[in-house]
Amino acid sequence: MSFPDPIAVFRTEAAELLELIEAGLLDLNVNLGDKDQVDAVFRGLHTLKGSGAMFGFDALAAFTHHCETAFDRVRKGEVPATRELVTAVLEAKDHMRALVDTPNGDHEATGEALLANLRAAVDGANSPGAASLAKATPGRNHFKIRFSLPQNAMANGTNPLPLLDELRELGECEIVANRSAIPSLELLAPTDLHVSWQVELVTTQPRSAIDDVFIFVMDEMQLDVVTVEPPLTAGTPAKTEAPIAEALPAPAAQAVAAAPTAPAPAPTAPALVDAKQKKTSENVRVPAEKLDELMDRVGELVIAQSRLSQLAGGSGDLQLRAVSEDVERLSGELRDTMMVLRMVPVTQLFGRFRRLVHDLARETGKTIELLTEGETTEVDKSVIERLADPLVHLVRNSCDHGLETPEERRAAGKPEAGHILLTARQQAGEVIITIKDDGRGINKERVRAKAESSGLIASNANLTDQELYQLIFQPGFSTAQTVTNLSGRGVGMDVVKRTIDALRGTINVTSHVGKGSEISLAIPLTLAIIDGLLVRVGDGRYVIPLSAVEECLELPIEEDMRSRGRSFISLRDSLVPFLRLRDLFRTGTKPDPFQKVVVISTGSERVGLVVDQIIGDHQTVIKGMSKLHHDVATFSGATILGDGDVALILDVGHLVAEGQQQEAHLRAAG
Amino acid sequence: MPASDVKEDCLRLPQNLTVRAITIVQQEMLQFLDKTASATIELDDDCQVDISFIQLMEAARIHADTAGKHIALARPASGSTLDVLKRSGFLEGMSAEDLKFWLHQGGIQ
Repeated sequence: MSFPDPIAVFRTEAAELLELIEAGLLDLNVNLGDKDQVDAVFRGLHTLKGSGAMFGFDALAAFTHHCETAFDRVRKGEVPATRELVTAVLEAKDHMRALVDTPNGDHEATGEALLANLRAAVDGANSPGAASLAKATPGRNHFKIRFSLPQNAMANGTNPLPLLDELRELGECEIVANRSAIPSLELLAPTDLHVSWQVELVTTQPRSAIDDVFIFVMDEMQLDVVTVEPPLTAGTPAKTEAPIAEALPAPAAQAVAAAPTAPAPAPTAPALVDAKQKKTSENVRVPAEKLDELMDRVGELVIAQSRLSQLAGGSGDLQLRAVSEDVERLSGELRDTMMVLRMVPVTQLFGRFRRLVHDLARETGKTIELLTEGETTEVDKSVIERLADPLVHLVRNSCDHGLETPEERRAAGKPEAGHILLTARQQAGEVIITIKDDGRGINKERVRAKAESSGLIASNANLTDQELYQLIFQPGFSTAQTVTNLSGRGVGMDVVKRTIDALRGTINVTSHVGKGSEISLAIPLTLAIIDGLLVRVGDGRYVIPLSAVEECLELPIEEDMRSRGRSFISLRDSLVPFLRLRDLFRTGTKPDPFQKVVVISTGSERVGLVVDQIIGDHQTVIKGMSKLHHDVATFSGATILGDGDVALILDVGHLVAEGQQQEAHLRAAG
Repeated sequence: MPASDVKEDCLRLPQNLTVRAITIVQQEMLQFLDKTASATIELDDDCQVDISFIQLMEAARIHADTAGKHIALARPASGSTLDVLKRSGFLEGMSAEDLKFWLHQGGIQ
């Protein structure tokens, strides 16, 4: 059995910490007085520094220390949080990521420049008025403190020594280590922390200063603080006073009473351990590639099960059939469980756009507010990964070209701040992600003029709005009058289209001049295994994704003959275009006397597919097409059937578009 | 290959005595203590130490005591070992035995 590389584990945790820090900074930027966010950012920086030092990322620890110190001052009210400080730490955060990714890289010059920015931001914030925010607590307080850190604190990168140093910095302090829980060497878990501490502290700081020392481990540690009344006015901790044990609540006092070096377990330790074990059992971190590996195995199992079902179906052995049915049920359940494991909320995806919008707002001088909805919507992790780049392009485009400057918005009677709304929702086996802005909208005339001048469409071509908008996804197409470093070069939107096509998704654009635009991406929830409808066309078998199937109808041969040249069927008072797959695939076979029409849809658009036979539902393990076939648009992949044959998977989006095109041409022809 | 240098009755520990390497040090120390009745532990002057090492040495003392063996440091704690002992509050409230073990106070062992 292999154990995860601790450095890789640290990098994963550091990435999560950096995301938390970024989220905290962006929230703080909205509300500079939000003390919870100040604490959250400080905690993140503190933990990152400690973990970095622990795993040998010394440059990261040293650099992060400066940011942590800056936020510590904000936390203590010595300097206020300002937008400049938030921006400086955001930029520093990017540098921290580089120090995590390439700790041996040449980062010194960048680091120094960023620290100079940070110093300037702190100095700028440290006005006389700000200084007056510092808390001053009159008199001196005497505290008796007993604390145990989480047992896995050291393994998780928390070094107790800096915490003890911080306590000492609060005032006159006597710290005694309690070693009573240290077991014999052969029983010792060496990376666990078996030591707890008793502290006497005389300080001018309030009780909250003690909590601040432990702020990043507070949830998992045990901390007992007792104020000794009356407050002392001066002097060192009074050693003649009652021992700490007397001042603590009964259970804690018992623990302290057992403090001598005898190797007895600390009474409070089991409770801490139980709570911790309970916590850790709730979640298990698994590398993504292990999930991919497991998915592959499940895929192979599904194929094997399909073969077994076929063999059992053709056999008269009832016991074999019963076993086959059991295996089919179990593999179906395993597949469903596996799918759930791979689903992750889009929060992770949306989270990164907050920073992007923040940076774009600064670069463009616009006021932009990003709103998100449906962040808990879950999508297959591989889909999430591949959606990131297209969404970056779309959000950039909205910020740069969609939204107007504050002056333009004021002149148009709009609020100064432009809005971008990112939403996600599930709909019939697909996730729909929309990017909506309240900007100037797409100028159809300009799109048409550009398309005509580029030769993309004929002059005066009759196009629907949707067809016109789809032109913006053509390579090199840009109507931007100015090219900025953000967008306007016409590079990017075609990449969006290519990526969404590769995900078997579709793009829908709506826009109203002066009111804004909305781009919807409809993507299948998963790219691994789908429920499919297995059909026969000629001698070949094909899979239609079941999520797109609306209904199946019989197409009598006489109606087929009648509809030649029209290719429409009447479905509950509406005409639905259909495609004869036998013709499309040029099978050269005669139509089956009992052909079927499988009606498929993407959203509101429908098309019928004429097939020779509907074989039945089929768990479809999606295999990619070879490089030689990657530009065959009609198929989105292939799958292996139970008898070992290959069936191609139909690309629903492409076929619906083709059907709609056929309808448009027939209508145009009158 | 062991990280430590074993001489007769003397175990010279590696430079890294932090939580990152402490599991290996524990194994080597256990093997060493099992083989000898009187063990001397030698630390590099510039070794890196954190609380996990202090804990480990305390655990080794308990182990030796239970097995009726003797364990001692070759030299009194100094440098970063002494610094960690101070900062972590181990020095405060040390018994005479502790002082003798860590600082060789009250007579060389």
